[in-house]
Amino acid sequence: MKYLRQLISLPVLLCAAGALAETPTFEIVIENHLFYPAELEVPADTKVRLVVINRDDTPEEFESYELNREKVVMGGRKTVIYIGPLDAGVYPYFGEFNMSTAQGKIIVK
Amino acid sequence: MLLDIVVIVLRETLEASVVIGVLLSLSRHSRIGFGWLFPALAMGIAGAWLYGANLAVISEAFDYTGQELLNAGLQYLIYLQLLLIVLLQYFCPGPACASLRPLLVLSVACAVSREGSEIFVFYAGYLQGGGNLASVFTSGFMGLAVGMSAGAIAYYVCVSLEPRAARRAQSLLLILIAAGMTLQATGLLIQSDWISAGRVLWDSDPLLEERSIVGQLLYAVFGYESTPTSVEVIVYCLALSAMTLAALVGSSSRRRGGASEVMA
Repeated sequence: MKYLRQLISLPVLLCAAGALAETPTFEIVIENHLFYPAELEVPADTKVRLVVINRDDTPEEFESYELNREKVVMGGRKTVIYIGPLDAGVYPYFGEFNMSTAQGKIIVK
Repeated sequence: MLLDIVVIVLRETLEASVVIGVLLSLSRHSRIGFGWLFPALAMGIAGAWLYGANLAVISEAFDYTGQELLNAGLQYLIYLQLLLIVLLQYFCPGPACASLRPLLVLSVACAVSREGSEIFVFYAGYLQGGGNLASVFTSGFMGLAVGMSAGAIAYYVCVSLEPRAARRAQSLLLILIAAGMTLQATGLLIQSDWISAGRVLWDSDPLLEERSIVGQLLYAVFGYESTPTSVEVIVYCLALSAMTLAALVGSSSRRRGGASEVMA
C-alpha cells in the first residue's frame, strides 16, 4: 500500500532554472586522476547541485552505483550533476576511466 | 588498468551487441536479409565519432545538461524504433515489412552512436595521456569480443527456435531492453534536474548488488537499477505495457491474417 501511494503521487515536473536558486551547490575537483575533496559532506533530504571540475587534460567519467549517476567530464572542463534528496548515509563514487585512483564518497548527514 | 579497459568497453558494447543479435535473428525470420547492418554500423560509428568529438560543447549546452538530454533523447528514440520493429515484424512478409529496414538501420545507428561515443572519448583521452597503445587496444578488443559474443549468443538462441517461439523470444528481449532504456533515460533527466527525483521505491542491492558483475551486466542490457525512484518505475511500467501491447496487436493481426488465408 505504501508503494502504491508512492507510485500514485506523481513527482512534479520542475523547471531546472527555477529550482537552481534554492539548490545548495558543492564543488568536486579532479586533479591527477584523484577527487578533491575525497569525502564531501552534503545535507540529507535536500537536492544538491554538484559542480565537477576536471583540471586534468584527459576526460573522466563521474560514476556512482549508489547515487545512480554517470557523466563524462572532458579534460579542462566542468560539468553539473544533481543528486538527492538523499537519506543519511555514505554514497561512494568513482572515476570510471581511472578506477584505481579516482575514488570518493558523498557523506549525507 | 587493463581489466578496467575490458570492463569499460564491454559495458558500452553489450547492450548494442545484444540488440544487434536479436535484430539480426528477427531479420532472418522475417526474410529481409542482413544488408541493413553495414549502413547501420557505418552510421553508428560516424555518429559515435561526431558525438565524442563534440562532447565538450554538447555537455555545456543547456546549462551543462546537454549530455543527459542527448543521451536520454537517443534512448527514448531507440525505444520508439524498437516498439515499431516489434509491431511490424508480425506483418512480414507483406507491404508493412518494407518499413522494417529503415527502422533497423536507425535503431542500431542510434544505439552504436550513444554507446560508441564514450569509447571514443575514453580512447582519445588515453592516447592523449600517452598510454601503452598495444595493451590498451588489446584490452579494448577483448571487451569488444566478449560483448559481441553476447550478441552472437542472443542471435543463435533466437534462430534455433521455431518461428513462432522465436518471434516471442525476440519480442520479449526487445521489450525488456527497450523498457530498460526508458528507465535509464528517465534517470538522466533526473540527473540533469529536468524531472524531480521522487522517492526511492525500494533497495534491491542486498539481493543483487548493482556493482556486482551480474548487476553490471543486467544494468548494461536491461537497465537494472537497485534503487529506482517512483518516476523511473512509472515510466518503465508504461514503456513495458505499451510495447507488450504492440507485440500482442501484431501477433493477433498475424493470426487473423493467417486464419483468413486458410479460409480463402
